[in-house]
Amino acid sequence: MEHDEKENKNLTRRTLLKGAALGLAGITLPLDRANASFWEAFFQKHFREMNESEIKKVIGRLEKEYAEKYKKAITVGNEKPLPGVSFGYGLDLSRCIGCRRCVYGCVDENNQSLDPQIHWITVLRFKKGEKWVDLENAEKYYNPETVPQEEYFYMPVQCQQCENPPCVRSCPTQATWKDPDGIVVIDYNWCIGCRYCMAACPYGARRFNWAAPNRPSEKINPNTHYLGNRPRYKGVVEKCTFCVQRTRNGRYPACVEACPVGARKFGNLLDPESEMRYLIKHKRVFRLKEDLNTNPKFYYFFAYGN
Amino acid sequence: MTQIIRNFFIALRQIAVGDKKYYAWVAFLSFLILLGASAYIGQLNRGLIITAMRDQVSWGFYISNFTFLVGVAAAAVLLVIPAYIYNFKPIKEIVLFGELLAISAITMCILFIMVDMGQPMRVWHILPFIGSMNFPASLLAWDVVVLNGYLAINSIIAFYVLYRLSIGKEYKMSVIGPLIILSIPWAVSIHTVTAFLYNGLPARPFWNASILAPRFLASAFCSGPALMIVLFQIIRKLSEVEIENKAILKIAELIAYAMGINLFLLGAEIFKEFYSGSIHSEPIKYLYFGLHGHNKLVPWTWFATILNISAFFLFLFPKTRENITTLNMACAFVITGVYIEKGMGLIIPGFIPDTLGEIYEYTPTMQEIIITIGIWATGALLYTFLLKLAIPVYTGKLRFFSKAQMVTASDIMSRRIVSVSPDTFADEVAQLLVSKHMGEAAVVDQSGRLVGTVTEADIISLEVGQAAGKKVSDIMSSPAASIAEDMKIQELGKILADRKVPSLFVLNKDSQPIGTVSSSDVLKALENIRKE
Repeated sequence: MEHDEKENKNLTRRTLLKGAALGLAGITLPLDRANASFWEAFFQKHFREMNESEIKKVIGRLEKEYAEKYKKAITVGNEKPLPGVSFGYGLDLSRCIGCRRCVYGCVDENNQSLDPQIHWITVLRFKKGEKWVDLENAEKYYNPETVPQEEYFYMPVQCQQCENPPCVRSCPTQATWKDPDGIVVIDYNWCIGCRYCMAACPYGARRFNWAAPNRPSEKINPNTHYLGNRPRYKGVVEKCTFCVQRTRNGRYPACVEACPVGARKFGNLLDPESEMRYLIKHKRVFRLKEDLNTNPKFYYFFAYGN
Repeated sequence: MTQIIRNFFIALRQIAVGDKKYYAWVAFLSFLILLGASAYIGQLNRGLIITAMRDQVSWGFYISNFTFLVGVAAAAVLLVIPAYIYNFKPIKEIVLFGELLAISAITMCILFIMVDMGQPMRVWHILPFIGSMNFPASLLAWDVVVLNGYLAINSIIAFYVLYRLSIGKEYKMSVIGPLIILSIPWAVSIHTVTAFLYNGLPARPFWNASILAPRFLASAFCSGPALMIVLFQIIRKLSEVEIENKAILKIAELIAYAMGINLFLLGAEIFKEFYSGSIHSEPIKYLYFGLHGHNKLVPWTWFATILNISAFFLFLFPKTRENITTLNMACAFVITGVYIEKGMGLIIPGFIPDTLGEIYEYTPTMQEIIITIGIWATGALLYTFLLKLAIPVYTGKLRFFSKAQMVTASDIMSRRIVSVSPDTFADEVAQLLVSKHMGEAAVVDQSGRLVGTVTEADIISLEVGQAAGKKVSDIMSSPAASIAEDMKIQELGKILADRKVPSLFVLNKDSQPIGTVSSSDVLKALENIRKE
């Protein structure tokens, strides 16, 4: 008897939850979009639990949706991590002039929302002659006529692609994970928007879509990746992916190409001949907040004095 | 099955029907809930942008309320231990109301998590089996497990006890005992896990302190019971439930200890943060003194500190603790103090300054506040409904139909019966009774309807030999004591007792006798039901 009651309760709880979810769906859903594709999206499985044909189907649906929304063809890629590759990033603080071209290059490449504005890269400004990387006294909203300014130095921060990422551990739904090439990715269709990962990230790298992302069609970069720069949704988290859509195709991340002074370096940490391996070996590199044991794959260094 | 449906409607009626005051209260709460719901629909449409939360301060008022309420829910354990383990009678009588409060508080917790989610429709992703719960790595997954488990445990205990009461029986410790024992560590676990949720993040030095979980528990054991003291007085005033002052004073005493520990732990933390004075002390500086001119939380923090310290002394001295006015004052202080300290005072400094040193000051927007009020109103309404049902069951005014009450005369009657017509001779009847070992015969007319009864005594009372000429119609008693076959066992018992007759004839719809019930039949049946 008691047992039965318990089972009933569990059952009703579950149906209630689903019912509530469906109810909410009913509220949020404009009637004209109440079609099969909505339910397909609702019941879509976790990215890593789908087989190739299921992924293909999902990508087909997404491309169709994006085409309708942006009135142009947008491809959604699914390039897998390359074997024998672990990506690393280098940033030469002695060269960085704080121009934020990397920030805007990233926005254009990765289809970030313009309103509300989302940046994956934050450039911090520090006063020279005081402490060195003193985050508590960093300035984020500096806005002088011209850069660089003599009395300041600059440090861009973005996702550090930790080897031991606190965000991945904290995510309650496994919606974010580290791929074998070291890139921490997010399934935007699986994220529930609880923002625990944002509380867990020591580098302020994660961004939340507080409102529906807004980007005019002509500014959409049509070459996208499912786990990278495809258009996102309201209420999900996003962040830098080392331009997964480019780097898995042998190209540099957009920020590396945008940097006018060559402060940004990128390469395969497993390749002994790579530029990254060279600078780790020959320059004095450091990583942010090493004491947290997150083991970032983002190396800062000073190539020359000053 | 019909029994369950019937009882469901009895319960529904009990909740739906009340006096004017009750309707006014329910209408007031419903109004607040509707306001909250409409604000929430706005949030669903436009996104969490309607809140003041941003990337820098990514959790705010919702999560603050959630954290406070986990404490309220956990505090039910403070009643469970004296009630069930030590059998302290005054608290045993009210522990049920504490458990119902825990149910309401956890429901609010779940609602606060739901409204904080960017994609609430995807909530099923967090469930095990049908979703992909990140267990055991994510503390949030742990929280889902322990909170829902706690809700289930308390619901089962409370509803089982209520059910037993409602059918007029004591609950059995052999059935519910293990669950009650389990509920104690589980209550501790919901608060510990919630503390670990913050505690386990090295990115947030303000939370990354081992003292957080003990502090959570200590403050929970102040605010939760304080809330209960206030609620119990209201229950006492508005209903016939008698709650002894003894119980209330016992709880107040427990709060005094908890508050002492809470203040000690807080002091330990304040010492460590300010004396060591590393850069990790920036958040607590922000909390108590403000940082670089940003000080929106400072007045609140000091307000809460003063309230908590005053409350501690009010609870500490027996004189103020045992005076209802000062006791209530102390309760109000501690509820407000802990609400600030463990709500906004805990969540917001975790994000200020943020991980890259930025200070973004957070004050909840009007929509956030309205949604929050809506959820509190939902919890209050749920608690009201639960009490509306529980109180009359508890005082014995409301009884459900149990299996026992569904048992009818025809279920327990003896089907052996001797029927005779009024024209039968008395000595024939005597023979019949002797051969069938019966003491009584039913007298029926031509269509089988019961018209009277003849007993051994009726025949014996005739002088021996005279019986030969007499007919049944001359000696029978009429009318015979009888009842309908669908009469409930309780009523049946009453009639047997009132009329002082040894047995009754059971009649079918056509008034034909189909059996008899005796006091011993009823007794046997009641005993069987009890054994079940």
